[in-house]
Amino acid sequence: MFDLKRKINNMNLIRFRFWFQIIAFALIVYGGYISFDLGDKLPTFACVFNSEGTGGKCYVGMLQHDLKQPFEIFMGFAGYAFLISLIMFMVWFWILNKSWCGFVCPLGTMQDWLTALREKLKIRFSEYSWASRSNIKSIKYILLILLLIIPVMISNSILGLPKLPNGLSMPFCDICPGRMLIPAFTGNFNQFYIDFSSKTDLVMTTLGMIIVGLFLVGSFIKKRFFCYFCPMSALQYIFSKPALLKLYKNGTKCTKCGDCYRACDMDILEIADDVTSKNLVTEDCILCLKCIAACPEDGCLEANFTGITIFESTKEGFILRMAINIQKESHE
Amino acid sequence: MNNTNHNIESPKEKQNRHKAMEAIKLLNTLREDFKAPISSMEYFYDLFERVHCKHESLHNDKTKIGTMCIQIPSEIIYALDGVPIRLCNGFYTDDEIGSDLMPQKACPLIKATVGHFASGNFTDKPDIVFSPTTCDQKTKAGTTIESFGYKLIDVDFPRTKESEASREYWRRSVKQFAVELSKFQGKKLTKNNLRDAIKKIGYAQSLYHKLSEFRKNEIVPILGMDVFLVTNAFFFDKIDNWIEATEKLISELEIRAKEKITVTGKAGPRIIYTGSPPIFPNYKIPQIIEESDGIIVADETCSSNRMFNDMVAVDEWNIYDMMDSISDKYLKACTCPIFTKNEDRIRRVVQLAREYKADGVIYQAFAGCTVYEMEQRSVLEAMEKEGIPILYLESDYSPSQGGQLSTRVEAFIESLKTRRRNKK
Repeated sequence: MFDLKRKINNMNLIRFRFWFQIIAFALIVYGGYISFDLGDKLPTFACVFNSEGTGGKCYVGMLQHDLKQPFEIFMGFAGYAFLISLIMFMVWFWILNKSWCGFVCPLGTMQDWLTALREKLKIRFSEYSWASRSNIKSIKYILLILLLIIPVMISNSILGLPKLPNGLSMPFCDICPGRMLIPAFTGNFNQFYIDFSSKTDLVMTTLGMIIVGLFLVGSFIKKRFFCYFCPMSALQYIFSKPALLKLYKNGTKCTKCGDCYRACDMDILEIADDVTSKNLVTEDCILCLKCIAACPEDGCLEANFTGITIFESTKEGFILRMAINIQKESHE
Repeated sequence: MNNTNHNIESPKEKQNRHKAMEAIKLLNTLREDFKAPISSMEYFYDLFERVHCKHESLHNDKTKIGTMCIQIPSEIIYALDGVPIRLCNGFYTDDEIGSDLMPQKACPLIKATVGHFASGNFTDKPDIVFSPTTCDQKTKAGTTIESFGYKLIDVDFPRTKESEASREYWRRSVKQFAVELSKFQGKKLTKNNLRDAIKKIGYAQSLYHKLSEFRKNEIVPILGMDVFLVTNAFFFDKIDNWIEATEKLISELEIRAKEKITVTGKAGPRIIYTGSPPIFPNYKIPQIIEESDGIIVADETCSSNRMFNDMVAVDEWNIYDMMDSISDKYLKACTCPIFTKNEDRIRRVVQLAREYKADGVIYQAFAGCTVYEMEQRSVLEAMEKEGIPILYLESDYSPSQGGQLSTRVEAFIESLKTRRRNKK
């Protein structure tokens, strides 16, 4: 038991995550071909537009659909359907917490591949200044509110405003890069289009194309560029507190060396500077666990599942991961 | 009268003789005065004897890069094929020479360092010196040293470490340092040579961590003074030799730990040492502690723990990220009292006391080392809050102060013993 624990703490997290992401990507993007289906309430971008290949469906699509009901119906059975969907979503989410982003999300994985490509080309990543970093935090919530409110406004008149055109029924899907990129992995490039049939469609599909471009360029130069703005991430964070998987920190052991912050793809300052909180799953955290792998202090950071430590930072693990022991091999 | 055989001792010879006396006195104490000496420590005793008594040069064939503080990244120096020589000095002889050049109230470490430069009497004379702008005295000493004709380059160091600006500022300074050194050496910094240097130093640091593990044992198999000697040797020794000797030391300690061989009395209180750095041969306070039956189990000083504790952690093994990792390690992880706020240092001392099950803390400041003197209050308050006994001492390099200091240290250690008995 002790040995297994030590093995896990000494693991090469980067490699483990790389393969885990590939398997998850394959299941989510191609699972449909082998009738793999996790349902339509997944807390990750399993794209509904990848109709044949997808191994499940994204809850954000479902959510927009559920909300597009006139109030009278929503107060009846549609409301129950909505609640049941939401609970299903939460149950899925609570299992892995934000690790859905760091380990499963196909859009996240694509960004990590672009990052790996940039690293191979020896091009430095760019970072936000701390001020802009905190300014952009609210964008994901604004997107979330819009995607919740627009479908409602299609079927209902709110505050006497006219109802919105039907072309906005899936407003986030229109601009989500997943709609275009995920089907592309199954050879389906049909989502790359601009729809001239109405003004709304024209605007939304054009925006979508622009955002795909930004996604590709952005995540090449900035690690996890899209995740900073992701409304799914905002939605998840609302329910994050009771989740089973947690990132815990023991602040007394922290020397604030900042190794975890440097490893963090989401540039979360709290991970290094907060020495009082225990739960370090912050709003932008993707629970990729890279911080734990980069921490040199015994037991300072840990991944905890239902109260059991499953992976924690150790000095030994740190030294192995930085491959400092290589020197010893050549020395002997 | 025939006076042809009369040799008048030159100032340089006198300096060498005095320094050799200081060095050998401490080395003999370490060799002979404690029970169960460690045989693999002989490498280190011999190393200091060769350098300070026999004046042997270690790095004839290499460019010697003098550093004035721990903030000059050794990784970059090794990558560019230089040898870092840390010039912080612990000799009273040099302190006296420096006294004529520095204000009366300056810290003895600075006076000794400046005195050493003034004498120009080096076994391994630095070809270029890099001086980070850490404390006031070190910052200003740079110009004095330069006036003796040395090539000295200031490396801008920020006095806060929390802000984004200070991080950026220091990253730029380190880049500038690498550029200057690369020009001086006529060698380019590459991905490979930098990575190898990071890993080599990381490995040396990991050995220090291994060494420290033994000090957590209930029966401590090594003296604190011996560990100070090992870490001080890292200032100037050939890194490969140091690594080999430390590996040997660790294997010997493994055996000693198994056989439960102790270096002090059974009830010797466990001490955390913090404050101004003990630098060979100024082991005045550590010596008093360990001769009074205490044992230093860990320290928080820049001549030992602070130099080894934090290793460079790289995320992307390309030059850009390695350089940033190096810069961050020397700034963010540093607990030097020159920083404005220094909660980190207090937290480190508390954590060390817990981890090494210490009975008390001894905080020593050099008279004139303003930053440590100023921080003393906050550390004392914090320790009181944590219920960790602490003793504050002021000392300098002079050999005359012993009696008064040892009375205080002995009393403190006795009180720790009583405290421990009462607990039982």
